[in-house]
Amino acid sequence: MNQIDLGLGILDHQLVDSEGHHCGKVDDLELEGIRDGSPRVAAILTGAPAWRGRGSLGRLAAALARGRTVRIPWEEVKDVHAEVELRRSAAELRLSREERARRIVERIPGASL
Amino acid sequence: MKKIFAIALGILAAIGGFVDIGDIVFNTAAGATFGYELLWAVVVGVGGIVTYAEMCGRVAAVSERAVFDAVRERLGFQVGLVALISAQFVNLMTIAAEVGGVAIVLQLLSGLPYRALLVLGVLALALALWLMPFGWIERVFGYTGLALLVFAVAAIKLHPDWAQVARGFVPKAEAENLAVYGYYVVGLIGAAMVPYEVYFYSSGAVEERWRPQDLGVNRANALVGYTFGGILSFALMISAGALLLPEGINPEHLGSVALVAEAPLGQIGLILALVGMLFAISGAAIDSVFAGAYNLGQFFGWEWGKYRHNSGAPRFTLAWAVMLLLGFLIVVTGVDPILVTEFSVIFSVVALPLTYVPILLVANDRAYMGRYGNGRVGNVFGVFYLVVLLVVAVAAIPLLIASNMGQG
Repeated sequence: MNQIDLGLGILDHQLVDSEGHHCGKVDDLELEGIRDGSPRVAAILTGAPAWRGRGSLGRLAAALARGRTVRIPWEEVKDVHAEVELRRSAAELRLSREERARRIVERIPGASL
Repeated sequence: MKKIFAIALGILAAIGGFVDIGDIVFNTAAGATFGYELLWAVVVGVGGIVTYAEMCGRVAAVSERAVFDAVRERLGFQVGLVALISAQFVNLMTIAAEVGGVAIVLQLLSGLPYRALLVLGVLALALALWLMPFGWIERVFGYTGLALLVFAVAAIKLHPDWAQVARGFVPKAEAENLAVYGYYVVGLIGAAMVPYEVYFYSSGAVEERWRPQDLGVNRANALVGYTFGGILSFALMISAGALLLPEGINPEHLGSVALVAEAPLGQIGLILALVGMLFAISGAAIDSVFAGAYNLGQFFGWEWGKYRHNSGAPRFTLAWAVMLLLGFLIVVTGVDPILVTEFSVIFSVVALPLTYVPILLVANDRAYMGRYGNGRVGNVFGVFYLVVLLVVAVAAIPLLIASNMGQG
């Protein structure tokens, strides 16, 4: 991987799992080693509660939205280009597969069109 | 040869898909009030949509990002969220205006009660959204919308004073009531640059998996398609100026717009005008409903897109269904769709810079765009329209109030 600007190059980018499904955005990053002067990205955080780290509007949005935060260790990241590509499937990483919405839509005839 | 044919078809769809209820309302009202004097404002608006759409299409083809991907990446969560909320507010008003417009045109065609036709119209739109593949939606409504070319024939048949028409392309503000004049300038620019079109266009480019080799198609669609689409706007304004201004008719109803085609061309003109309006406004309703769902999907990182089947992008599917329902609920109260149209256009102008700026930034960013970043010409236009949009955005609400919504 080339040099990446964390603020512009990863944060708020699309997450794509190993099967090509969109599964949320990079809502926040977990950094470690800041005190010992060699900071590194430990994990990607995604899900509504992770918006709490994104300013006062983020806190407000997190309070209003439902959902859980999923922590994706950096080792699970395969590549970073326009999207952040993950090594495993959304199901394996316990990321959202939009199940609740899917159950509603599937009740309507022609859902697989 | 096949490619040229495909490009030509795309251009035709872009022409027919250019006009929506905002263009119809503002162009005919401006023609009925100021004759041909405001043609220059349409030129400014069309230049704006060409510039903006071309950048969005290029960003989508090169970096595979649609508008609200870029908005969130560039502006961050907080400012991005403000952009999202304002865009969705405007989208919702646009959906309400288009849905109401569909019902009005159906009423003019059938004479049945407005609310029954509203229900019928929304059901038909929902069915089209649910069943039609992406390519069809663009094409079917784009081609049928071409019936609006009847207004170009009407404009010629009405024998306008062409010297005066030509003078209309030169900006000047010597009107008696400058607030009304300014209100129409803002409205015409806003109607041409209505944001849902760009959200839809850029998301469509991602849906159709455009790559840098498709940049020619992008340029053709944006430049040629939208420029010729602008001709429909000219035709509406010129024919309204030639017919309605001398008669002192203010087109407060879509019926008087159709009258503009009927007067010189008779029954066939009337029918073509109504059919053209029906399909153009229906297409715009569908595009704006999808635009709302695209924006949400891109901001929150959902599965989105018509190329996934309905349950393959379930949140996206529910999002468009809810947007359509909310739009319906707004107009079913009985609020005048023409009034909603005017508000939607004016507020879209206020919200436009929030989505225009990130696209301009991304189109200039070599890290995203490589050698396909904005060139000198692209930036001259890009920055010129940034200034235009900022001025118009600041002036919009004061002019709305000062001109009493163009009533003087």
